[in-house]
Amino acid sequence: MSGTKRGSRNLLEDVLKAGLCTGCGACVTGCPYMAIHEGRIVVLDRCTIEDGDCWRHCPRTPTDVSGFSEKTQGVPFDFLEPGAIIAVEMVRSVDAAVREKGQDGGVVTALLAFALDEGMIDSVVCSKKDAGGAPHGFVARTARELLECAGSSYEAAFTLEAFRKIPAGNADRLAVVGVGCQMEALAKMKAAAPVNGGNPQNVQLTVGLFCGWALRSDIFRPLLEEICDTSRIVKFDIPHSPGTSFDVYTKDAGKISIPLDDIRPAINPACQYCWDMTAEFADISAGSAGSSFHGWNTVITRTPRGAGLMKRAVAAGIIEIQPLPESRMTKLKASALNRKKNALRNLARKSGTREDLGYISGLPAGLVDALLKD
Amino acid sequence: MADIAIDNPGGVVLLMGNEAIARGAIEAGIGVAAAYPGSPTSEIIPTIAAVAGKRKIHVEWSSNEKVATEVAAAASLAGIRSFAVMKQNGLNVASDFIVNLNMTGIGSAGMVIFVADDPGGMTSSNEQDSREVAKWFDNPLLEAQNAQEAKEMVTWGFELSEKVNLPVFLRGVTRLCYTRGNVALGKLPSGGEKKAFFPEIWDMYNPAKSRFTAGPSQVAHKNLHEKLKKARALFEDSPFNSYAGPENPELLIISSGVCTSYSLEAIEELDVADRVGALKLGTVWPMPEKLIEKRLLSTQKVLFVEETDPFIERSVMEFAAGRLPEMGGLAFYGKRSGHLAPFNEQSADLVIAALADILNIPLAPRDPGYRKKAEEAMALVPARPINMCAGCPHRATFWAVKNAIARDGRNGFVCGDIGCYSMAFAAPGFYQARTMHAMGSGIGMANGFGSLGDYGFDQPVLAVSGDSTFYHAALPALVNGIYNQSNFTLLILDNSATAMTGFQPHPGTGMLATGAPAPIVDMEGLCRSLGAEVRVCDPFDLEETTDAILAMMQKKSGARVIIMRHICQLLKAKRKIPGECKMRVDDEKCLGDSCGCDQLCTRIFGCPGLMWDGAAKKAVIDEAICVGCGLCADICPAGAIIREEARP
Ligand SMILES: Cc1cc2nc3c(=O)[nH]c(=O)nc-3n(C[C@H](O)[C@H](O)[C@H](O)COP(=O)(O)OP(=O)(O)OC[C@H]3O[C@@H](n4cnc5c(N)ncnc54)[C@H](O)[C@@H]3O)c2cc1C
Ligand code: SF4
Ligand code: SF4
Ligand code: SF4
Repeated sequence: MSGTKRGSRNLLEDVLKAGLCTGCGACVTGCPYMAIHEGRIVVLDRCTIEDGDCWRHCPRTPTDVSGFSEKTQGVPFDFLEPGAIIAVEMVRSVDAAVREKGQDGGVVTALLAFALDEGMIDSVVCSKKDAGGAPHGFVARTARELLECAGSSYEAAFTLEAFRKIPAGNADRLAVVGVGCQMEALAKMKAAAPVNGGNPQNVQLTVGLFCGWALRSDIFRPLLEEICDTSRIVKFDIPHSPGTSFDVYTKDAGKISIPLDDIRPAINPACQYCWDMTAEFADISAGSAGSSFHGWNTVITRTPRGAGLMKRAVAAGIIEIQPLPESRMTKLKASALNRKKNALRNLARKSGTREDLGYISGLPAGLVDALLKD
Repeated sequence: MADIAIDNPGGVVLLMGNEAIARGAIEAGIGVAAAYPGSPTSEIIPTIAAVAGKRKIHVEWSSNEKVATEVAAAASLAGIRSFAVMKQNGLNVASDFIVNLNMTGIGSAGMVIFVADDPGGMTSSNEQDSREVAKWFDNPLLEAQNAQEAKEMVTWGFELSEKVNLPVFLRGVTRLCYTRGNVALGKLPSGGEKKAFFPEIWDMYNPAKSRFTAGPSQVAHKNLHEKLKKARALFEDSPFNSYAGPENPELLIISSGVCTSYSLEAIEELDVADRVGALKLGTVWPMPEKLIEKRLLSTQKVLFVEETDPFIERSVMEFAAGRLPEMGGLAFYGKRSGHLAPFNEQSADLVIAALADILNIPLAPRDPGYRKKAEEAMALVPARPINMCAGCPHRATFWAVKNAIARDGRNGFVCGDIGCYSMAFAAPGFYQARTMHAMGSGIGMANGFGSLGDYGFDQPVLAVSGDSTFYHAALPALVNGIYNQSNFTLLILDNSATAMTGFQPHPGTGMLATGAPAPIVDMEGLCRSLGAEVRVCDPFDLEETTDAILAMMQKKSGARVIIMRHICQLLKAKRKIPGECKMRVDDEKCLGDSCGCDQLCTRIFGCPGLMWDGAAKKAVIDEAICVGCGLCADICPAGAIIREEARP
């Protein structure tokens, strides 16, 4: 179910050179043959391993998506739905300070801080912005550290690098935050643990982030450096309306709006092949798409584990919830499905045939034909 | 050999070829010896330097071979016998001066230039036959068979030089330089005080007296040919040429240098002394034509045996072509006929095969089991691929270079150069050097690549140069690059010595050839004063070095220099500086050949201080070889290589 056995040479040819790398960070750490440099994976030396973790865990090597879902989440996979769903609601952090620092409603930060506090987990693998605002994988151990990590960076963050850096044998119970491809990589690691480090068996909680695309640092950074002093950046945002601007908030200049079209050249081309808008392999997924109000998150609770945490957090007065209007729900489902269609279409175009959908396998042929009909 | 200047005429001592050559120069009473280090000649200068004080000889390691030859020529012009030493590549560097020195002639004191070729290129970037310059420059050239003869030829070379007023070449090869033989010592000169004086001063009332304004070069060239004629006459009955064999042999072997020994061995081995004659030529150019003519007329077949080019072969055939009526029937064998090859080293076996073929002697096939036995014996010898030493700073530098180039991702590359770090074209330097030619050519080539921006060239270019190479030939190219605004980064690998050829000091080391202190020519200040942006890194700080290389190679213009400063590990051992740490591999942590390492330390990093234990599938430190530099601990992905307490 995890496809063929291959090594870094194949990763180089079939993922990196093929323009499929999403920048999840699963392959790099624990491997001296690859490194992250300015938003790219670089191959440093020739590895001869023919059955490598890099290939096994990369979300862009052949993946039987339906087999996966059943194995990792215990629910049958329905490609037409946005993953397993227990509830979809509008949620926000009760603490205004968390909302202020958080990207939307601060739910991700609030939930994780609560999970740390109640002892469900010991640490959180997430992403932290450096002095110039560029994201890096980070392991947060306290609520304070988590708050420092709040807010989205729209660059591919290679977050799982930090996960893989956790030495083998470390007993910390972990939560992992990440976008769809990172949740897929993590699911692959759960299915077949890496030989050294990471310890997927210790992951108690996964929090997914909705994701439309991520930016390539090597293209985005120079662009950003032209318009502001990157060390003064406080926040990025892509507001839903009008939906045409990319906003950079800085300490000195307040909000600087860049036309979204100016940012598009920096979008990682690999993202056009991604099918997963709502991080379907997580326990809980959060975004803003679908939510009716500014400052609220749309949250999909997917697993009993996720539902338990949500329930306890509400009871403890950490988060507050409103129902998501039916019309919004329909729209959210439609855009998630649309994302899948686009990915399949782009993959079929890349290979030249619908028979070959690159890394996605395990979909019934009839389903693919039906989705790509129009 | 305790004292090369031992005064014991007639005494017999065991000397290496290079020592015998040094002794010959001392017996000739030289006052100046100058050279740039290069195998296989590197022992000559230190041998002379060891007695320099006692014998009042000015000995120097010059910054390159051209300067060395100029230093020697000046001594000759001032009446002091002088000796210049170089390997074949060095002759190329010096040649522009020598072709002009020939025209003016030398001074009243003789001058000998010893050039050693390296057939087979055992310690060289190229293979070349330096005898060709004798014809090209119109210069007398001798070639010695063994250590004894080499010593005698050096001494006689000075007499010859003074008789014909030209520098005299002595050609050697690696086998001559490094082979030991019994040498009978000659007399040492009395060492009478000699005053150096340059007599060619301008005499305003007698302009014609000054040779250096004597005439245009066509006149000088005519004089040169007169001098050559004189040399040829002296060569006709020189004792360095000899003949052994029947008066009218079926076949005549003409050989020179070490090939004479191979020829004699072949004749003996095939038991054909009654059929084959051997003419040994010690005075190779200008060819003693009368002697040659006499021997050619006594035979029907001629086989030429010489190292590298068919130099004598072509000269003799050219000569015979002018005597077609008498010599038309001669059959010539050698490199033209394909019996021997104009490349790689010659050997007695090769001569035996050639001789047997020409004389139709069936060669007794070896015992059929021999090959198998030989192969079995070979299997017992562990393969020893070329490698840098344990703890070599070049390994650290090229590790950083490799990672910086990979991170940069724009197909950057290194223009390599000559030194231990030449190995960067292969596994020890992670295949990073993509060009490699002559001394200083790395930066010269980088100049060129870095000037192709108008043609869309956008690959980052790095050049490497050793510290000694920097002073030798890289400096003019750096000046050129700054002046012509080429785009490249020069890495100077400063390991404080000319390591490859045996740790000779150079202008940056603060030491002379004799070991006496010298002013340091500060390369860092020099590069800065030229206008380069200079950084100094310790390559053992891999992270900082990688970042520095990356930062420099990503600059769009301006000359950039990084000095990679870390003492050569062997020099450290020589100076008895202890290693920093005792190393150990933690078995538990070592990932061996599994995912996450795949033998990074032994398979890629390749320090000989680490061994792969195939049974345990773990790396281990080879305590006998590891020098405790600690670098491998920084590259091990598992933190399995542990630095333990500092060595006592
Ligand atoms: C690259 C990217 C694209 C996104 N695109 C969309 C979209 O199209 N539609 C949508 O509805 N939502 C999108 N989101 C999600 C959205 O930005 C918020 O992260 C989400 O709504 C949660 O909000 P919050 O206030 O709870 O987050 P917070 O409480 O601020 O917590 C955010 C968490 O995300 C982590 N994080 C920040 N940047 C990254 C990153 N680059 N990679 C991995 N983790 C990171 C932080 O460490 C922090 O723990 C995207 C997020 C990212 C990172
Ligand atoms: S998608 Fe993730 S695992 Fe695959 S190559 Fe890119 S960073 Fe590595
Ligand atoms: S690099 Fe480290 S883990 Fe890998 S084989 Fe060597 S000692 Fe073992
Ligand atoms: S410490 Fe490591 S790198 Fe240094 S000499 Fe020993 S084995 Fe080689």
